[in-house]
Amino acid sequence: MNGRRLRLSEAEESSVSRFHLDTLVAIFLLLFCGIFLTASFSIRETSYASLGAEVWPRLILIFLTLLSFGYLVQSVRHHGRPEGAVPERRGLRQWFLRHLNAFWCFLWFGLFLLSLPHLGMLAGGVVFVYATLTSLGRRDWYGHLVHAAIAVMSVGTMWAIFTYGLKVFLPAGTVFFF
Amino acid sequence: MTLGVTAGLIAGAIPGFTIAMAVVLTLPFTFGMTATEGLSTMIGVLVGGLSGGLMAGMLTGIPGTPSSVATTFDGFPMARKGQPGLALGIGVWSSFFGGITGAVVLVTLAPQLARVGLEFGPWDYFALVMFALTITSSLSGKALLKGIIAGTLGLLVAAIGEDEVNGVARFTFGNDAIRQGFAFLPVLVGLFAFSQLLSDVQDRAKASKPLMPKGAKAVRVEHRRAIVEVLRLWVVVLRSSLIGVFTGILPGAGSSVSNILAYDQAKKASKNPDEFGTGIPDGIVAPESSNNATEGGALIMMMALGIPGDIITAVMLGALLIHDVVPSPSFISEEPVLAYSIFIAFFFAHFIMVAMQALCLRIFVLITRVPMYILASVILIYCAIGVFALHNVGFDLWTLFLFGILGYVMRNLGFPLAPMILGVVLGDIAELNLNRAWSISNDLSLFFTRPWSAFFLTLAAFSTVFPLYQRDRGSKNWTQFYFPIFVFAIAIPVMFMGGTVRPVIGSCLIVLGAYLMWRRFQQRTPRRVSAE
Repeated sequence: MNGRRLRLSEAEESSVSRFHLDTLVAIFLLLFCGIFLTASFSIRETSYASLGAEVWPRLILIFLTLLSFGYLVQSVRHHGRPEGAVPERRGLRQWFLRHLNAFWCFLWFGLFLLSLPHLGMLAGGVVFVYATLTSLGRRDWYGHLVHAAIAVMSVGTMWAIFTYGLKVFLPAGTVFFF
Repeated sequence: MTLGVTAGLIAGAIPGFTIAMAVVLTLPFTFGMTATEGLSTMIGVLVGGLSGGLMAGMLTGIPGTPSSVATTFDGFPMARKGQPGLALGIGVWSSFFGGITGAVVLVTLAPQLARVGLEFGPWDYFALVMFALTITSSLSGKALLKGIIAGTLGLLVAAIGEDEVNGVARFTFGNDAIRQGFAFLPVLVGLFAFSQLLSDVQDRAKASKPLMPKGAKAVRVEHRRAIVEVLRLWVVVLRSSLIGVFTGILPGAGSSVSNILAYDQAKKASKNPDEFGTGIPDGIVAPESSNNATEGGALIMMMALGIPGDIITAVMLGALLIHDVVPSPSFISEEPVLAYSIFIAFFFAHFIMVAMQALCLRIFVLITRVPMYILASVILIYCAIGVFALHNVGFDLWTLFLFGILGYVMRNLGFPLAPMILGVVLGDIAELNLNRAWSISNDLSLFFTRPWSAFFLTLAAFSTVFPLYQRDRGSKNWTQFYFPIFVFAIAIPVMFMGGTVRPVIGSCLIVLGAYLMWRRFQQRTPRRVSAE
């Protein structure tokens, strides 16, 4: 190695990051199973049931725990790091940028749900579509105009179809009353 | 149904939109309809989606759906050679004939299989569900362990809330809204559609460009020449359709598997295998007839046994449950109107598909100019409206959001979603049958001694090992004995199934197993001699 530390190739780097990720996921799954197994002991036992309500979920959880343990072992065994190699640092910024569009969608959808009792499905929906379109697409004046038009037309049409066509009651907000 | 077929054709043609997603998104529109109308609409979408995938594949080289991947191998070269109208025509008519073959097999086989299903006890049903889950996990990707974990998570999701037998709340963590459990539709839309849309817009640059940068042009479909070509290749049509039907019957293996399998078989059986990939009709006929026939097979399983053959029929099963219809072996005899409506809808949808293809081609060309982020944003709000329409409960929207995040995370971590969805659909059925079995007898050995149960558990065990077999085939010795041992193992329960025919089949399987074993040893001996 001539005193120099090896740099990992892209595939190896991906393998190493997957090693960390799989191990973390396996540990998370084990914790999840632990919490649910503990909660399964709070399930009310009935005297009339031939098979208690807690049996089936407990069976599933025991099986899931075994699988998660297997997954942990597999993640440690199969994705070993080449000797002497140093993993290329994958910045948090890079990871964040990779999932930025999804984060925008999650953010706007979460805010849409929180504002639903106040804005209602129609106004809330229009705001959600406009905000999502603007976050994911172009942000110049033309983009704003097109996004606003798309938001009003698409949500308005769907709202009308469900409200008048399918006779579905969609939530009205406290602000706009429709 | 016509609207359904049209919507399916367009959705199927758009790369990134799967047929399952189109069927899921149709579900909210069917709430106001009767079960017959709702199911017919969904079948329309399904048939349209299967045939729509070929448009994008042939005109742009990007398959619209995974079920039309193999169609692109020869469809796109033929279109580039200056015959796009003929390529589309062959695709459309192969889909038509494949679908009709699937419909004929569906009508013939489903009632027979349902009669067999009437023999099943709760032990057998439980074992069948386990088999459906293991085979879906093993066929859904390279990561078997992740597939089984996803399936088990699906079972756990179905177990949250009040249990169906005793009415006892489970895992509510003090939240009253969870007492009713998670509704099927928000979970499904969240896991599948929501997460798929987010994955589609993950690449920022790609998401803001039109769906197809090169663009597609509408062409005139050459129906007459295409029919002649397809009828000339009737052997390929029939063989591929049968491959499709039997792939569909197998739980978990859908049209994304069958189209490649049929293409491969057509190539192997051809006198000129080298011509495949250059734009020959055989290469279009095989995948297109098989993918439409596959859904006939999947519907057979759903209608005869109440077990979905793939993700699309899992959605349909959910739709039936929403309409208070529970598919089981007695489904065809108890709900004949609905059952035969499904048969007829599947049959007629193929005629509508042929009629609507030209119109949809023009609409598809228009849609390809729209960037993905616009479609995704609009569909996201549609998902919310559709989910809310199910029960008019705000909690369903939070369920959609929660499972949307979960689906996105699982996709990015390489967990297949199909086993999880199947687990959610089949969780209650598995628990109910386990409960029934336990109420009748607390003898667990019945799961292994009852022939049908033993048969399904054997299949489940071998399907679990199947990915390892595929990985090690040709390189490790044990793989040589996988198939003979499998034949022996399934022969034993078949022998004990009673009657006359089944023991005879069981005996034949044992003879076949013995022959295969002998052949394997014969193949091994010369190698050892030469090594010595």
